[in-house]
Amino acid sequence: MSKVIGIDLGTTNSVVAVVEGGKPKVIHSAEGRNIIPSVVDPTKHIVGDVAKRQQIVNPKTTIFSVKRLMGRKFKDPEVQKDAKWLPYEVKSGREGMAVVNVEGKDYTPQEISAMVLGKIKADAEAYLGEKVDKAVITVPAYFDDSQRQATKQAGEIAGLTVERIINEPTAAALAYGLDKSHGHTVAVYDLGGGTFDISILELGEGVFEVKATNGDTHLGGDDFDSKIVEYLLAEFKKESGVDASNDKQALQRIRDAAEKAKIELSSATETEISIPYLTADSTGPKHLALKLSRSKLEQIVGDLVDKTLDPVKSCLKDSKIDAKGIDEVILVGGMTRMPLVVKKVQEFFGREPHKGLNPDEVVAIGAAVQGAVLTGEMKEMVLLDVTPLTLGIETLGGVSTPLITRNTTVPTSKSETFSTAADNQTSVEINVLQGERPMASDNKSLGRFILDGIPPAPRGMPQVEVTFDLDASGILNVKAKDKATNKEQSIKITGSTGLTDEEIARMTKEAEEHAKEDEERKGEIETRNHADSLIYQAEKALKDGGDKVPADVKTEVEEKIKALKEVAAGGPIDEVKTKSEELSTSLSKIGESMYKGQEAPQSEATPGANGQTEETPADDSKSNNASDKVEEGEVVKE
Amino acid sequence: MTKVTKQKKDKETSSKHLELENQLKRTLADYQNLERRIEEERRLLSRLSAALLIEKLLPILDNLESAQQHLNDQGLELVIKQFKETLQNEGVQEIEAQDQEFDPKYHEAIDSEPGDIDNKVTKVVTKGYKIEDKVLRPSRVIVTKKDNNINQNENMEAIENV
Repeated sequence: MSKVIGIDLGTTNSVVAVVEGGKPKVIHSAEGRNIIPSVVDPTKHIVGDVAKRQQIVNPKTTIFSVKRLMGRKFKDPEVQKDAKWLPYEVKSGREGMAVVNVEGKDYTPQEISAMVLGKIKADAEAYLGEKVDKAVITVPAYFDDSQRQATKQAGEIAGLTVERIINEPTAAALAYGLDKSHGHTVAVYDLGGGTFDISILELGEGVFEVKATNGDTHLGGDDFDSKIVEYLLAEFKKESGVDASNDKQALQRIRDAAEKAKIELSSATETEISIPYLTADSTGPKHLALKLSRSKLEQIVGDLVDKTLDPVKSCLKDSKIDAKGIDEVILVGGMTRMPLVVKKVQEFFGREPHKGLNPDEVVAIGAAVQGAVLTGEMKEMVLLDVTPLTLGIETLGGVSTPLITRNTTVPTSKSETFSTAADNQTSVEINVLQGERPMASDNKSLGRFILDGIPPAPRGMPQVEVTFDLDASGILNVKAKDKATNKEQSIKITGSTGLTDEEIARMTKEAEEHAKEDEERKGEIETRNHADSLIYQAEKALKDGGDKVPADVKTEVEEKIKALKEVAAGGPIDEVKTKSEELSTSLSKIGESMYKGQEAPQSEATPGANGQTEETPADDSKSNNASDKVEEGEVVKE
Repeated sequence: MTKVTKQKKDKETSSKHLELENQLKRTLADYQNLERRIEEERRLLSRLSAALLIEKLLPILDNLESAQQHLNDQGLELVIKQFKETLQNEGVQEIEAQDQEFDPKYHEAIDSEPGDIDNKVTKVVTKGYKIEDKVLRPSRVIVTKKDNNINQNENMEAIENV
């Protein structure tokens, strides 16, 4: 009955929320704050506000913004850029991944983030008065598989089972309870402390799909504050003739006043900034006292707000939707409290954005809502993650037979029974495929394994049950079991959703482009497979029937078999069809009694004999190793 | 056919039953937790609301004190004393920082300067206060740094410009 907490693991700050009594609520930290700075000093094991307070004394051991390095290679141009200004040491670690070095010890971004998550976990436990070990964690929509896996690992290091990794914009949409009753194209404008993100989501079939995402990784509230500080310094110099920009103490007070004024001007149209005894020179103490109006503030930071609109435009362009096509606009991040930001966004999209929830907390709230949906505490909420591409196996003739179709909500599990394609076939090869194309060769093979030791039997007799189990994190378990011997073999594939958006888009597009020819090709193969199986059935029926089959019927059937055999493998497809039908008609004359008890255990979806015609000898000794084998992607701890 | 439908219905009813039971348990647990928390919060509330107000008054005390540093006025001295006594009566304590070892639990470093030893508070820029053990505001301090290299300043700029 434990709660699943929702965590917004941010670049600058993190927030945690939980659903209680059907309502999401933000959990305050031990320090009594709703946000926890994502700052860690691993040498002293201090996290959050406390770590931040000693940042200036210990710039090399105080790690902040580590999310910028998460799951990235050291060589990544983004990491290279960030390593230049980050005051702590960033270097290349295992497998070229970016790690931070603190006093000679390497820490992965996962470990650093785990310390933030550890504090969040402890704070949540103190608040809830019970153990917390499950969480939903949000990541930016642009995070790739490696960054998502790293985030998941961070949770696991902190002792949290990460039930789901969800996209930040999706969480925001969830927090506002957007569902089918709302418009289906949603823009999420997220202007936080240090980063700006814009995402276009599309809601279809109860699932949010990220259409496009863009942003500026170095634009946020801190830039706004700096602009105001610059202005105040200039004003102070004009008034008093003193340049306070080199006076750290004065600067700190101005910075506090700037932030306070910025916040006040979100509700008031004018505010008074007064910093008595800011500094002193030979003529005596100097005070800063001035009035700042909202319109003046808007002049000061106007170009920063305009700067966000370029990524917004590119994002719309990428998603091939124009501003008018957006049905809902959601604002996320503390900076979106600024009336100018709201105004600009509203002007751009021509519609009023959703407001009401605290924009600093909306992502964590959405994550908590998702957590509650997972535990069944909340219902009728859209579920998020779907498998972006169809998963299936290769069957006779190189056909790709789907088991889990694309856009199926995960976790999901599906079983289907297949059989052998040849008499006395003792092994089947399971080739796990991903993609939309009907032919196996056009799809991506995620892994393959062999189930052997099937007792020799006529084709179509053995029953091999293939089970696909796709968990919420995209980890696919494929199991094949021979129902007669209970012998089974399995494979675990972690990269099943580990494709980039581009790859998914390309594969989907290719599938659409080739849909017609693929369908024809598949149809042809199915016809030939069907013919092949019909011949087999007919021959068997004649043999089984023996003398009971009237001579004239026997001759007729034999003739039809011969005719079909001539065209089955390579003849014109139309002839295969007609001759199959003819044989089928004649065959029915043999009598129903002959068929009973030999119904092949084939699935309805794929008539005809399925399974590979492989007859690999059973001495491969794959039986033990293969079950734990991870074909691709990172090894994920469960 | 009807039998199948009935079986299906039974199954649905029992799964609905489980679901409702599950939700009821959760709601009860939430309710109990809420009761406990309300009790705790009620005890803290009076103090917390005082704390919120006091936090807002502290900058005024700071400014009175800096005024006094410049003016050295006897009357003002009395006003400050009165102010501080009132705070003390509410359980507010000044956080000791001067010449202490830097402790980020109570102190916030805003600058560092070279010194013989590490982590000693050499100057309190803004006084910090706590109520019971809760920090209302950390002391803003300047801290010594033994090997204060030239990069230090650059690093601080970088932090500030994040």
